[in-house]
Amino acid sequence: MTQMTMVKALNSGLNNAMEKDDSIILLGEDVGTDGGVFRVTDGLLAKYGRERVVDTPLAELGIVGFGIGMSMAGLKAIPEIQFQDFIYTAMDQIINQMAKLRYRTNGDYTLPMVLRTPYGGGVHGGPYHSQSGEAYFTHTQGLTVVTPSNPYDAKGLLLSSIELNDPVIFLEPKRLYYAGKMDVPDDYYKVDLRKANVIREGDDLTIITYGPAVPLVKSTVEKNNVNAQIIDLRTLSPFDLETIMAGVKKTGKVLIVHEAPKMFGVGAELSATISERAIDYLAAPILRVTGLDIPIPFALEDYYVPNEKRIMAAIEKLLKY
Amino acid sequence: MIEETDISKEGLLTAYKNIVMERLFDKKMLNASRQGFLPFYIPLMGHEAIHIGLGMAIRDEDFFYPYYRDFGVLLQMGIPIDTILSQVFATATDNEIGRDMPDHFSLKKYNIGAVITPVAGHLTSATGIAYAKKYRKQKGSVITTFGDGATSTPDFHVAMNFAGVYNLPMVFFVENNQFAISVPTYPSTDKAFSNTYEETRGAIYKKAEAYGFTGIRIDGTNFLEVYRATRQALESAENQPILIEAMTYRMGPHSTADDPNKYRTTTVIEGGDKDPLVVNQKMLKDMKILTDKDISSINAEMDETTSQLIDKYEKAPKPDKSTMMGNLYEDEPWYISEERGDIQ
Repeated sequence: MTQMTMVKALNSGLNNAMEKDDSIILLGEDVGTDGGVFRVTDGLLAKYGRERVVDTPLAELGIVGFGIGMSMAGLKAIPEIQFQDFIYTAMDQIINQMAKLRYRTNGDYTLPMVLRTPYGGGVHGGPYHSQSGEAYFTHTQGLTVVTPSNPYDAKGLLLSSIELNDPVIFLEPKRLYYAGKMDVPDDYYKVDLRKANVIREGDDLTIITYGPAVPLVKSTVEKNNVNAQIIDLRTLSPFDLETIMAGVKKTGKVLIVHEAPKMFGVGAELSATISERAIDYLAAPILRVTGLDIPIPFALEDYYVPNEKRIMAAIEKLLKY
Repeated sequence: MIEETDISKEGLLTAYKNIVMERLFDKKMLNASRQGFLPFYIPLMGHEAIHIGLGMAIRDEDFFYPYYRDFGVLLQMGIPIDTILSQVFATATDNEIGRDMPDHFSLKKYNIGAVITPVAGHLTSATGIAYAKKYRKQKGSVITTFGDGATSTPDFHVAMNFAGVYNLPMVFFVENNQFAISVPTYPSTDKAFSNTYEETRGAIYKKAEAYGFTGIRIDGTNFLEVYRATRQALESAENQPILIEAMTYRMGPHSTADDPNKYRTTTVIEGGDKDPLVVNQKMLKDMKILTDKDISSINAEMDETTSQLIDKYEKAPKPDKSTMMGNLYEDEPWYISEERGDIQ
């Protein structure tokens, strides 16, 4: 056990995996000599060499496409896109090649690869360093979309993603990269990708959240003594229906919190799924507290993302209902 | 023009038969499509010599990542005709169980990549496969084909750049048929007023130089020239990537969804002296490989063979609807299992 930040935990996971399996190749802008702009790949070049920790030209389309080819040929590519905001020139590769390869070839080709990228706010990066684009990926059939909320999960989910025989979009909440340390095993371990984490039990309502919003939800609930159950999804797609339904049936009131905008977002799918299956158990409308439906503004980011006040307003509305 | 060749007489005859087979198959498939037997088809006419030359050149240790107009390459490579036609006709026995359009082959066991529709969408993948080959110190090279239209995409330039940067065993092979559907090639790569590739300064093969490797232009209507240049390129690519621009002319439409009479005057016509079938017939006759009698007997044989095959695969059973939900993920999610019950 070592006290680790999320960055250190991810670095430790990559190191464990690369030590074990020489088919793993890291690639991306600045992942080698610089160790990644957030330092997730720090020290790995020195240990594994330029053939396995590949500094690439500045071309997201190339980083993803190159990784796809490596994985088609039996390697396991772990490309990094420096900010999720810059991933869009690679979206054709992600949607048309990465996500569809197994299906359209009926498994002739499979694609074990993990595309890592930091997302969300927290660094006052304005419209192009703060986006929460998870819905672009969750709406693409064939992808597994994972996002951790703490250092322990970050490492365990990353190692499970690396072992998966299918492509993973691994979204790293950059606001949590250095947000605190926790005990993380130095050795190899996994966290189940298909299992949500009930991080707090409670009876009055169920709050479903993930990634960057989890610590905020937890601190809000604790500070205000709310008797709420909190579910951390861990994997957005395919999400853990069973854990969600058990929570809904237990409390009958649901709040969904995420940093991404509300319209057509992950919360919409969760809300629709719950309504379709458990409308009789619901004692109140399903509410959402999310990022606002505008691009994320540079100076006023703190008003854009969910905060304690907005979460408490929704909780109070549900409790009173 | 005629040189001693390392191909036996029998090998040359097989190549010729495959050119004829591709031509006849193509004409009949276009007919089948017009009569409504096939929803979509990608015509091949004008590409036969490129395809057969490539099929001869590719070695067992090479990896081939084709695009959607490469039917004849697989024929010449010796891929079983059943495998090829099951895919084209989307039958129940297709290894992709009819999930992708005609000519979108995926044949991993033959070192062939999964053909993708978006133009140039496979070029960075092919380059990654070449990286894996180099990393694993495997013999052979990766060859990827694409049309001239693909050279305007970011994918082409990114893949060329990566191949140069990592000095990968890559052969980029442009099948330049001078049209991206309706838009002629040369106005797309140099100046809007250049009408022929002789006029242009932005020739495709010259683009390789900017990425640090060699580009060559070859006659794509002569299958022996294609074979020789490609084989040599596959050997030299183990030391440095290379770009080959093979010149031909798309004699038919782009696909069954367009009519070339709307956008061009077709200058290479079937049976004319630039038609690859005519070019190679004449060459093989001059080489004393082929006689007029052979030409008519091969034509009759291939006419019968292709008709029988098309008839057989047109009638072959289509995949059952129960197959359509499988193989999205290795571990099927709950909603996919549920949606199986929604199919009716």
